[in-house]
Amino acid sequence: MAIHILGKAIKGKKPIHLGLASTFYGIGVGTAQKICAKLGFYPQMQIHQLSENQILNITKELSGMTIEKQLLEETRSNIKMKKDIGSYAGMRHAMGLPVRGQKTKNNIATARKLNRINRKQ
Amino acid sequence: MRASFVALARSAWKGPHIVPLPIADALKTGAPIRTNSRNCTILPQFVGVKFQVHNGKEYVAFEITDEMIGHKLGEFAPTRKSFKYTQTKNK
Repeated sequence: MAIHILGKAIKGKKPIHLGLASTFYGIGVGTAQKICAKLGFYPQMQIHQLSENQILNITKELSGMTIEKQLLEETRSNIKMKKDIGSYAGMRHAMGLPVRGQKTKNNIATARKLNRINRKQ
Repeated sequence: MRASFVALARSAWKGPHIVPLPIADALKTGAPIRTNSRNCTILPQFVGVKFQVHNGKEYVAFEITDEMIGHKLGEFAPTRKSFKYTQTKNK
């Protein structure tokens, strides 16, 4: 039984913090645990045990944070700003190479995947 | 730019790294400042000044804008040339 929070389906048979962490961009396990602690869910509590009111509480909590599209936009605009002012970091982003002085002889898969002006999720 | 990164990079009691440069003169005359000190932090007073910063070979010219505050001068003068393949050596 899936439950919908902010238009996203989460599987019912999952601990709440893990469900939130795996569904929303910008929420990791740590942040999700903090939300659960604030709203008074015990750690093993699962998604399908949530009542209507508790779901509303989670929605309220999430809508106050910068997550998903908003967060991605923010990250992208920061990278674009670095490129526009012509700094070294912006140039490295555009080239898809490590930004903070790492070596590039091998092992730059993460940089190849993520470092670009219009950063993917 | 995030202020916290500046705080992490350097102790607060030191303040920003300052290099004596003729900023007041440059603002008056509009002449570019030619410098080799790439590690100089860009302060709010620098906005609008033209700089020529050494990259190891030549002086790269650029003008300071609002968003550059907090960065270093050297970040805007890249030191490495990217490899380009040419068929003949004498090109």
